[in-house]
Amino acid sequence: MIVEFWGQEFKINVFVGCIGGFLIAVISSMFGFGGGPFMVPLMTVGLGLPMYLVVGSSLLAIFFNTVMGTLRHYQFGNFDPTFFLIMFPAAIIGGFIAPQIAKRVSPIVVKRVAVAGLVILAMNLLGFIS
Amino acid sequence: MKRKLLALGFAVIATLFMLYQNGVFAQQSGGAAPAAPAASEQPAPPPPPNEPPPIPPQAETTPPPPPPAVAAAPTIQIDKTALDNGGVITVTGTAPPGKPVFIEVWAEKTVRASRFDSEKDPETGKIPYLLYMTHDMPASYVIYVPQDQKEKLESIKKEGGKWSYSKALKDLGADVAYSAPSKVPIDRYQATLLGSVIGSRGDLLPAMDDKENKKRSMQLVKARFRSPGKVFAPTVEVKPDGTYTAKVTIAKGAAPGKYSIVAATDKNAKSPALSVENNVGFPMIYLHNAGTSINVIGPFLLTLAISIFGVLMGAGGGFILNPLLVSIWPLPHTIVAGTVMPTVLFSQGSGIYNYSKIKFINWKLGVTIGLAMVVGGFIGPKLTELITLSQYKFVFGWILLILAALMFWQTTPAYLEKNKKEQAILKEFKKRAEESAAKKGA
Repeated sequence: MIVEFWGQEFKINVFVGCIGGFLIAVISSMFGFGGGPFMVPLMTVGLGLPMYLVVGSSLLAIFFNTVMGTLRHYQFGNFDPTFFLIMFPAAIIGGFIAPQIAKRVSPIVVKRVAVAGLVILAMNLLGFIS
Repeated sequence: MKRKLLALGFAVIATLFMLYQNGVFAQQSGGAAPAAPAASEQPAPPPPPNEPPPIPPQAETTPPPPPPAVAAAPTIQIDKTALDNGGVITVTGTAPPGKPVFIEVWAEKTVRASRFDSEKDPETGKIPYLLYMTHDMPASYVIYVPQDQKEKLESIKKEGGKWSYSKALKDLGADVAYSAPSKVPIDRYQATLLGSVIGSRGDLLPAMDDKENKKRSMQLVKARFRSPGKVFAPTVEVKPDGTYTAKVTIAKGAAPGKYSIVAATDKNAKSPALSVENNVGFPMIYLHNAGTSINVIGPFLLTLAISIFGVLMGAGGGFILNPLLVSIWPLPHTIVAGTVMPTVLFSQGSGIYNYSKIKFINWKLGVTIGLAMVVGGFIGPKLTELITLSQYKFVFGWILLILAALMFWQTTPAYLEKNKKEQAILKEFKKRAEESAAKKGA
C-alpha cells in the first residue's frame, strides 16, 4: 500500500501492519490498556515509517480498538460506572498536570525510572518477588 | 482554557453522580427502598421450608420424634444488628451437644458469576464448552466452620488454584449449611470455543433441575470467590454442652445492605435467619458490578499519580494502573480491564482532533490498521472473561517485561541519536502544518 503524507510517498507492507495491529489490539483490549507503546514501534520499525507520520496515525488506529474494546467490555457487563467516575476525573486532571512537570524533568530519566518500575512490577506479577 | 473548563465540568458531574449513586440525595434512598424488599424476597423464602413449617406437621403425625427434631435445630442470637463499614458480630446459641455447628452468612446484594466449562469430561472425553452464568450470586458468601476444622481448611488452601469447592464442603462437613447460592437461577449456554471467542454466548439451554443447579452453583461460588479463605472461616467454638459462639466478620469493603446469618447442625436442623445491616458511607462507595466497596480516595489518587507518570514516560497509564488495581484492591480483573479502557477514550479523541486540525493524520493508514484493530478489540474482551485472575497477572507480567525492554531500547544512545533527528523533523513538519492550518483559518 502506498501512503502519501505531506507530499512524500511511503510504500508499506499492509499485511505486517494489519496482523501486527490485530495482535496488539487483542492483547490491549484483553488487558485493558492503550496499545500506544507497542503500536509506535510497529509502525516505525515494522513498517519503516518516519515518526512524524506515526504519531497521529497510530493514535487513530488505536482509537478504533479502544472504541470496540469499550463496547465489548460494556456488553459483557465488565464496565462499572461508579468505578469509572472515580478514575476518569483523575485521569483528566493528570493529563493537565503532567505537561507542567514534563518541562522540568528529563524524559530519559523518566524512562529509566519507568523501566526499573516495570521490571519490579513484572517480577511481582510473575511471583518472583512479593 | 476551554478544555480546562470542560474537564472541570466533567469532574463536577462525576462527583455529583458518585454522591447520587451513594444515596446521599434523598430521592435516591427513596428509589432504593422499593428495590431492597424485592431483593430480600430471594433470601427470605429458603429458611421457612427448612425450619418451623416442617416441624409442626411432623409433630401432628408422629408424636415421638418432635422433641429431638425441635432440639436438633440450633438457637441463634447476635450481639448487634447494624454495622458501619464492616465489623465483627458475635453469634451465640445452643445446639444439641456433640454436634458441629456451621454458620452460613450471605449478603443480600448480588453479583454476577460465570464459569466457562472447557474441561474434558473424564467419562466421555468430550469438551463440553458450556457457559454457566448467574446474576444472583451473593456478593459475599461465607460458611463458618468449627475451630477444629482449621487444619483441614489449611490443607485445602494448600491445594492452590485447583481446589474444589464441593469437595471442600464435604470434607469440612459444611455441605449441611450450604443453601443460599444453591437455588440461584443459573443460565446455561451451549457454546463452541470459536463461537465463544467471537462473542456469541451460544444457545440458552433449558433450566437445570435442583440437584444439577446446586452442583453448578458450587462451581460458580468458586469461580466468583476463588480462594477457600474467602468462603470458609474456622471460628465457631462449640462447647461440650452444645453452646457455641462464633465471630462473624464482615470485611471492610464488603457490600452494603442486609446480611443473613443462619446456624445449622444438619440439613434439616437450621436456626431461623437473623439479619444484620451493613452501612457503608462516603468515602466508601459500593461498586455494583465489582461487588465490593472501596474507598474512593485510594483509586483516585493512584489513577492521578499513574496517569501523570504515564504521560511523562510516553505510555498510557493502563500498563501500570491495571496490575496495581487488581493487586491492591479486591477488584475482579474483568472489571478493571473493562473500566480502565474507556478512561482513555476522551484523551485519545481529543488527541486525534488536535492532530487532524493540522492535517497530521494519514486517514488511509490509520483506518486500514484501525480496521484490523477493531477485529482484535472485538475478540480481546471475550478472552478477559475466559481467563482467571492469576492468569491475568501472569501474562501481564510478561507484557510488562516486553514493555520494559522496549523502553530500555528507547534510552540507548543509538536510539536517542536517531530519535533526535526524527524529533527535529517532526517539529519542523508540525510547525509547517500549524502555519498552513492557521493560514487557511485566516
